[in-house]
Amino acid sequence: MNKWMKKISALLAMMLLVLTFIPTAVSAAETGSDEKVAVYVRVPEDWSNPCVWAWDEDGTNAFEAWPGEEAEADQANEGWYYIWIPSWATHVIVNANEGEVQTDEQILEGKNAWITISAADQVEVSYEQQTTGDIPEYVEKFVVHAQVDESWENPCIWAWSAPDGTNAFEAWPGYALSDDGDGWYSAKVPVWVNSIIINANEGAVQTEDISIDAAEVWVTVDAEGKSDFSYVDPNKEEVPNITVHVTAPADWEAPCLWAWSAPDGTNVYSTWPGEALEEGDGWLTKEIPGWVNSVIVNANEGTVQTQDISIETGKDIWVVVTDAENYEVSYEEPTTSTAAVETKAADATEEADTAADVTETEESNHTVLVVVIVLVVLIAAVVIVMAVKKNKK
Amino acid sequence: MKKICSLLMICCLLAGMLCGCGSTDSGGSQAEDGTTTITIWHDKEDAIIAVLEERLKVLAPEINIVFEKKSDLTEALKMVGNDPKAAPDMYFFAHDKIGVYAEMDILAPITDIIPKEELDQYMDSTIAAATYKDEIYQLPIYYETLLFMYNRLYMDDSEVPETTEELYAYMEENTKGGHYGFVEQHSTPYYAAGWINGFGGYILNEDGVPGLDDAKTIAAVEYHKKFVALMPGETEYATVNTLFSEGMAHSTIAGPWMIPTVRAQGMDVGVAPMPVIDETGTPIAPYMGVQGIQVLKFAAENKKDAVEQVLRVLMEPEVGVELAQASGCAPANEACYELDEIKSDEVVMAMKETAESAVPMPNIPEMDVMWTVAGNFLTDVNMSGKDVAESAADAQKEAEKLIESMQ
Repeated sequence: MNKWMKKISALLAMMLLVLTFIPTAVSAAETGSDEKVAVYVRVPEDWSNPCVWAWDEDGTNAFEAWPGEEAEADQANEGWYYIWIPSWATHVIVNANEGEVQTDEQILEGKNAWITISAADQVEVSYEQQTTGDIPEYVEKFVVHAQVDESWENPCIWAWSAPDGTNAFEAWPGYALSDDGDGWYSAKVPVWVNSIIINANEGAVQTEDISIDAAEVWVTVDAEGKSDFSYVDPNKEEVPNITVHVTAPADWEAPCLWAWSAPDGTNVYSTWPGEALEEGDGWLTKEIPGWVNSVIVNANEGTVQTQDISIETGKDIWVVVTDAENYEVSYEEPTTSTAAVETKAADATEEADTAADVTETEESNHTVLVVVIVLVVLIAAVVIVMAVKKNKK
Repeated sequence: MKKICSLLMICCLLAGMLCGCGSTDSGGSQAEDGTTTITIWHDKEDAIIAVLEERLKVLAPEINIVFEKKSDLTEALKMVGNDPKAAPDMYFFAHDKIGVYAEMDILAPITDIIPKEELDQYMDSTIAAATYKDEIYQLPIYYETLLFMYNRLYMDDSEVPETTEELYAYMEENTKGGHYGFVEQHSTPYYAAGWINGFGGYILNEDGVPGLDDAKTIAAVEYHKKFVALMPGETEYATVNTLFSEGMAHSTIAGPWMIPTVRAQGMDVGVAPMPVIDETGTPIAPYMGVQGIQVLKFAAENKKDAVEQVLRVLMEPEVGVELAQASGCAPANEACYELDEIKSDEVVMAMKETAESAVPMPNIPEMDVMWTVAGNFLTDVNMSGKDVAESAADAQKEAEKLIESMQ
């Protein structure tokens, strides 16, 4: 019995510990906020385009991919570059020459820091300001991707805010786009930018003014400078088509499928109720694009329908519809449709019973209560008998 | 022996606790110890109920208030509203089901408890919403209307459209590359109602007559189509909210409940008055929902004193202020708008302005069938490209048939 008590006490203590830990964990997550700190770097002369790669002690990266984000030259302090990183990213590596040279890992204190690099293995970190003047304000930025014609060399971006005409860069042709190696170039611009021009060949060729939202954008430019853009990544891997298999209730005439992608709302079909499902191998089927993540099965010219059915993209699905409110989705063909029939029967019974259930709540609760009390007393009796026997020994 | 006693005590305790898990029993007027329990069903978020609970603590220990959250409140009330043992004493819900429950004869007019003249402190529109067949069945607490919201990252305050034609021009200019100038749930009646009401049309009038084939309703739906053409085809709730909250749409018409979410995501969200419809000179006029307390007949008859005390606490203007601060609710009590805490609240004041042209959601039972019929009508027109007049005529017939079958 003592052993039991000890075990129960240990369990309770663990639960208490977990409960105590929850608020700590939540507040830790909350403090991992958007606060930014400035990291200044001074690099050897043969280090070009210095970048900072940063992460926290749990391995969460501040930037998407190596070599991290490029630091910006501080016009007021020659030789110094600066970058804003999240204050939680206290582990950094400074690198340059497209990641070919780099420092060791530096552990920072989550506040503005000045890193002087004499060589890859000679790094000094200071929290005393080493530059003159104010630290440039943090400005949120977004990425502009550009794909230009082969004849366009050394493409640059010129960016400004219309109609006030504030420029993001000092002089035409603007900021050199970095080659991402996949046929695309990119650069970051401040969120107050709403107009850009992509140019090349030292500004000799260029697009017209392009009005954009302050959001990651992909711009394509042909040889003549004609441009088009999209806020959706055109490089996203194409997902192959999928097949939707459906069984619908017998009284649903001419079942159709309506399919779309949420949240962008791109529809597969232009008009409701979508397209008719075709008779197949015991199922009604329809092939649809793999990017679809939401479908509705409907019938009788769209007058009966399921709710929105969320599905995983890129996977064939089997949907067993029992009525407008009930359906089952699986990603492998169900072995038998009995389950569906059972579900429907169960649902029908459930519906029929609902009214009775509500009015009889009290009675049924009492029954459950009696059963639970009897069970508790029985368990207690068994425990007592065992304890008494053990004491006798 | 001590251990055995402890075990027995634990068992008794457990059994005692389990006994407390029974169903709602608001029957009877007073417990043996002289206390009265008032059970209030609701479907509200925790922040709102916390305010009410705190305020109503003043009535303890004589009156014990129990709030019970019910996800299926309306259906459950239909089932047990007549059973004092299972029904609550009051419920906290939108006004639009008042007609249904008044016809079931389970509601007591609020004026049976609070004299009518004391309700003068409430906005006229909220009292109108609470009235069914000349009886006031709800004590209004707060109201909601849809709001015109915009993302300041994309839409400058100076660009906010004042008219629907300005909105259309903005949409034409900014709907490109996968971003939208404006999105709304264009084929959901609750949202489309703003356009229909703004044209002087109606989905259902106060006499329970559908107005889907009314000339003004048809004109509204016809005019609205050009806006629909610049929105995504699928515009159910999640799609529209996600498009706006994830920065893929510049502006939207949505409920005030959206604001805390997008603010938490870091959006600098602006709220503006509804654009004025150029064709009619009146603003888009969305439905107004009034959230308040309804009293069940049994409680009004058997716990009248306790019910009155609860209502009087909830009539205090401070309740409205605290609800506005806790959850952005717009108080129904006019006195709240004299207080600085409310006057300085951008969202609440925008709702007040919108409420001036908003139309209380019909509270008559016939509205139950209109949501589906009007939804199908809008889907036919906006998503299936069917003729507006023909679809309106078909929908009107369907609505009339369904309403007739309700009689």
